[in-house]
Amino acid sequence: MTIRPLLRSVFLWMIAAFLLIPFAIVAGVSLNPARQIGFPPKSLSGVWFVEMVTDRGWQVAIWNSFSIAFIAAVLATAVALLAAYALWRRDTWLSRSVFSLGLGPYMVPPIILALGASIFWAEVGLYGSRWATAISHGILFVTLPLVIISSGFSALNRDVVDASNISGASPRQTFFRVILPIIAPYIITSFVIVAIISVNEYLISSFISGFTVETLPIKIFNNVRYGYSPLLAAAAVGFAALTVGALVLVSFFTDLVELFGGSAHESTP
Amino acid sequence: MNVAPQTRSLSWLIALIPLSPLVVFFVMPMAYMGMVSVFKNDPVAFFKPAFVLDNYAKFFAPFYLTVSLRSFVQAGLGAGIVTLLGFLTVLFVSDQSRWLQRLWVLLLLSMLCLSEVILAFSLLILFSQSSGIPKLLGWLNLWDTPRFLYPSFGAMMAGYVMLGFSIAALMLFPQISRRDRSIEEAAQGLGTPPAMLFVRVTLPMFRTALVAAFLTLFIYFLGVFVMPTMLGGPQNWNMTVIIQDRAVERFNMPLGAALSMIMLTVTAALIGGIAWINRQQDEAEDRV
Repeated sequence: MTIRPLLRSVFLWMIAAFLLIPFAIVAGVSLNPARQIGFPPKSLSGVWFVEMVTDRGWQVAIWNSFSIAFIAAVLATAVALLAAYALWRRDTWLSRSVFSLGLGPYMVPPIILALGASIFWAEVGLYGSRWATAISHGILFVTLPLVIISSGFSALNRDVVDASNISGASPRQTFFRVILPIIAPYIITSFVIVAIISVNEYLISSFISGFTVETLPIKIFNNVRYGYSPLLAAAAVGFAALTVGALVLVSFFTDLVELFGGSAHESTP
Repeated sequence: MNVAPQTRSLSWLIALIPLSPLVVFFVMPMAYMGMVSVFKNDPVAFFKPAFVLDNYAKFFAPFYLTVSLRSFVQAGLGAGIVTLLGFLTVLFVSDQSRWLQRLWVLLLLSMLCLSEVILAFSLLILFSQSSGIPKLLGWLNLWDTPRFLYPSFGAMMAGYVMLGFSIAALMLFPQISRRDRSIEEAAQGLGTPPAMLFVRVTLPMFRTALVAAFLTLFIYFLGVFVMPTMLGGPQNWNMTVIIQDRAVERFNMPLGAALSMIMLTVTAALIGGIAWINRQQDEAEDRV
């Protein structure tokens, strides 16, 4: 029986290695000052990181990505909050269909969303604008916030809200003073996750405004096409660090294991 | 429940506010696409209003049928590998300490959020002769003439696995971590060998969850774009890449839209299948 736990650990380590080794190599490449991509690095230097943050093209891409992500995250979180709140208040056919509709974008392949959005924005006359990309991201990434914030509402005790109402608070006061503070961790988690997904998204951005608004993934993708330099590795590392950093931050105020449906209690091995 | 008419109308209003952007920016683009799919192609103005079914008819050419078949095979293979690996991983992780579980969820969530472009790029480096596996094999004298390992089917599938693994694992996580361990323990106590325990007890317990995960990943892999373009090469391009190529590179929006509508129909059918499976599962649970 002692060999089985060992085999399990070996399996888990192999999976972790498969997921992590490519990043280790990219990190090594990004620290190699040579012009050519090479690993292991012969010496260590941060020259590519400096070049990335000082290069005008990369600065523009970073700004594009971040501004789009911010607007998208605000939009997605607001829509998800209202939809989840509506369903929590009263379970009607309308609130239920809004919720189901919000699950929709997650189930449609991104290429279809991207093509539909590009045709739509061309008709509206905003094709190629960063606002178009931001709004599409905001609406099409609504699913995860919807699920996360709904799980927050389902954990919300109705007695607390009733108590607030009986004490004479107006619906608005109850919402802002009682409900919102309790839901806040879920809202913040949703905001961060949408922002991360938006920053990382390629296909929809490229269809809607790929020719005019170069985001980070678009820039990296285009650069890979025309041969690549260690600068790309630096960008990829910066990107990954940002994503993981944001998630670590989230994990401080949300129990990620519980959020993703894990058992709330310590498992007994 | 006795609800005052005022709060009732407020409830409707709160539901209507998120409904409108969803309809305008999600449903309407889909409707527009459906409309354009019967338009005529016009190289100058993207498309010309008409009602023709030529774009749909083109789908039945051998080329598109081959691409469809290829997309299905790739998506099926990828979903199968990822579901199996994800299942085993989560099964083992769920028995680890809370702290390790948290670390795994963090790793999976990071992978889930990371750009397909970044994942593909890191694999490009891993498979390149100047810095990755080929160099290592050459250095160990296991490969006389190290060459790039991409574009290739294998490199692309590695990309699929890296991309989909976190989705499969996170989908399966809730059910597996909350499973009733007493059944396995009882079987173990009766002296069931580990392999039989896995095949006869553990696997059937999660059959519906596994099927749902497989189908979700299958749909997801049908829509993958960056992995086939960056790691696969033209002989491995799936329908998604072809749609992008027709609509953007060759300015044939109506054809791209028609191919998308066909893909949407297939996807909807698959999702209907998932919903049906879930309902069966719920009914089975109700009966218990």
